[in-house]
Amino acid sequence: MWLSWNTPWLLWLLPLALLPWLSHNTDKRVAWQAMLPHDGMSRFITFALKLLSTLLIAALLLAMAGPHIPEQWVERSRQGAEFVILLDRSRSMDDIFNRPPRNLLPRKAFSTRSKRQVSGDYLSEFIKRRPDDRFGYILFSTTATEILPLTYNRDAVLATVKAGSLGKGLSQTDIHRALVKAASMFEGEPYRGSRNILLISDGGVAITAEEKQALEQLLSKMRLNLYWIYLRSMRGMTLDPGDDDNLLWMEMPERKLHQFFETLQTPYQAFEAGSLEEFAAAIDEIDRQQYQPLIVEERLPKQSRRAVFLWLALLSSLLLVAARVYTVWGVTRAFERKR
Amino acid sequence: MILSYQKRILLTAVIMLTALLLVMAALWLPPIKRDVKIMDALFVLDITDSMNVEDVSLNGDKVSRLEWAKEFTRRAFLDMPCGAHAGLAIFSEARSLILMNPVEVCASYNDLTRMLDEFDPHMAWARSSEVSKAVYTAIRQAKEIEPEPTIVFLTDGHESPPIHESLFPRFDGKPGDIQGVLVGIGGEDLLPIPKTNEAGEIEGVWDVNDVMHQDVYASLRADTTTNVPTKRTEHLSSQKKAHLKTLADRVGFEFLSSPRSPGKLVDAVRDVSVTRPQTIDYDLYLWLAGIALGLILLVYLPYGFFIRTDD
Repeated sequence: MWLSWNTPWLLWLLPLALLPWLSHNTDKRVAWQAMLPHDGMSRFITFALKLLSTLLIAALLLAMAGPHIPEQWVERSRQGAEFVILLDRSRSMDDIFNRPPRNLLPRKAFSTRSKRQVSGDYLSEFIKRRPDDRFGYILFSTTATEILPLTYNRDAVLATVKAGSLGKGLSQTDIHRALVKAASMFEGEPYRGSRNILLISDGGVAITAEEKQALEQLLSKMRLNLYWIYLRSMRGMTLDPGDDDNLLWMEMPERKLHQFFETLQTPYQAFEAGSLEEFAAAIDEIDRQQYQPLIVEERLPKQSRRAVFLWLALLSSLLLVAARVYTVWGVTRAFERKR
Repeated sequence: MILSYQKRILLTAVIMLTALLLVMAALWLPPIKRDVKIMDALFVLDITDSMNVEDVSLNGDKVSRLEWAKEFTRRAFLDMPCGAHAGLAIFSEARSLILMNPVEVCASYNDLTRMLDEFDPHMAWARSSEVSKAVYTAIRQAKEIEPEPTIVFLTDGHESPPIHESLFPRFDGKPGDIQGVLVGIGGEDLLPIPKTNEAGEIEGVWDVNDVMHQDVYASLRADTTTNVPTKRTEHLSSQKKAHLKTLADRVGFEFLSSPRSPGKLVDAVRDVSVTRPQTIDYDLYLWLAGIALGLILLVYLPYGFFIRTDD
């Protein structure tokens, strides 16, 4: 356990603590040396008082230098999981979430929030619900960047998610690159517990065969789980093929992507959110599934240790003051008697 | 001045007693309340190609404008008082993209700097650089954030494609609605701009025929007052001070050209920001312990070397 200092340069002043051994300010010049009593007791007291003064100066300097135990990370075992958030920023995410068809008269008022805003709201709620999780965030358009490397700081995560629902979308999104980036965030990390990718998007992209293979290997190597919350962009369309499918839906890229995800060895689950209720249910389900043993790093804030030194200074100065007051008393009496 | 032995003894005792009281106060006096002014700032960093020009110096080294902007932003975080909030955004194409809303700068310093480290030309989603429009979008988005942050926009002011003064993009907001500082980066000389490819890697420089040299709309006009032949220098870049000044006036921002220290930048931000007071606990122990130490040293200073005491 080592101490750190706020203002270490003050420690250079420590030689000042030697001053008591050099100073003779309170000495009394005596006419004849032999008049001084030479007993062991008084020699010891002189020595002790000088030592105490040294201690006092040193203790004050050390206290002023701000001694503290630096903040530490300790590993604790908790319940939770690690998540990398991939939020689609494409233009289509600017559309109104769950908009009723235009050719029907809406029976009830509908929300005018965009898909991105709704996703942001639910993500924020999800993050707030999970106190021990570690989150990362990837921004992806034509390229992918891990703008928020995995962190326990929920303020930063929430601020990033909130920023994600501001403004307009970007032109292109490359889900493949984003997935690769997300998986590589765990590169070189010890396995602490359940690792998840949470993809929220309203569309898919075609992925080439080589890309598929590389991605499959990477995902299973990193032992990831994949969640996809799919925001339906077309009414009635599902990710899984149905009996009375529209012919147009067969070749939709999101269906292709879903098929590919299902072939992965990686545990994969898709949620189709067509309404706020479905979105909430998806978030609840992921929340419920992901309480597994997780090793988390907790920050112990830095602890000041200056009180120890101040107490030391207090005790030594208490003794010194007692000695000084006694001296004053003695000297005054001696001078009075002389008169 | 010569003090008698008796007086010296008495004075020493009094000083030591005072020091003792000060040490006790340092131990037990509760922290006092003090108000500091804090602000919310949104740092927008230009990540377009012209920011790769290496014509600014940092600690004696020639570095790229982007490196400079990142380092200045990081140091500005350090110079901001705890309790202040800082957010991050990047600018490419014709818009600012907010990546992190303002968060408390001391608690989230680690995450802010890690995000800042990722800022790189490869994040750009297009290869144009329309500074004025980006400032406008930053202002529009800042209005959606609660409380509204002050915008710190770090750029060299290079517009690509260029704009004609009479065809300046329209600003819809009211100047001064959102406070801000435009920070100009870059040298005086026109230098070639490194060109990035799709992957964000630098591949040679922008050639004279790679870029437009005239405002798109002006070039279509027959009017010779706007469509005048200009020098073909838009493939080169320097700090566009005049343009940034015009832009700053238009949106009611402060313009700060190449601040010498991050402290200056933080001061400028504080000056324009609508600051709010925050009460912090201020511990007096350092002062009390310091005075106590000073008094004790007074007792032990070796006056004997300078003054003769004869009794």
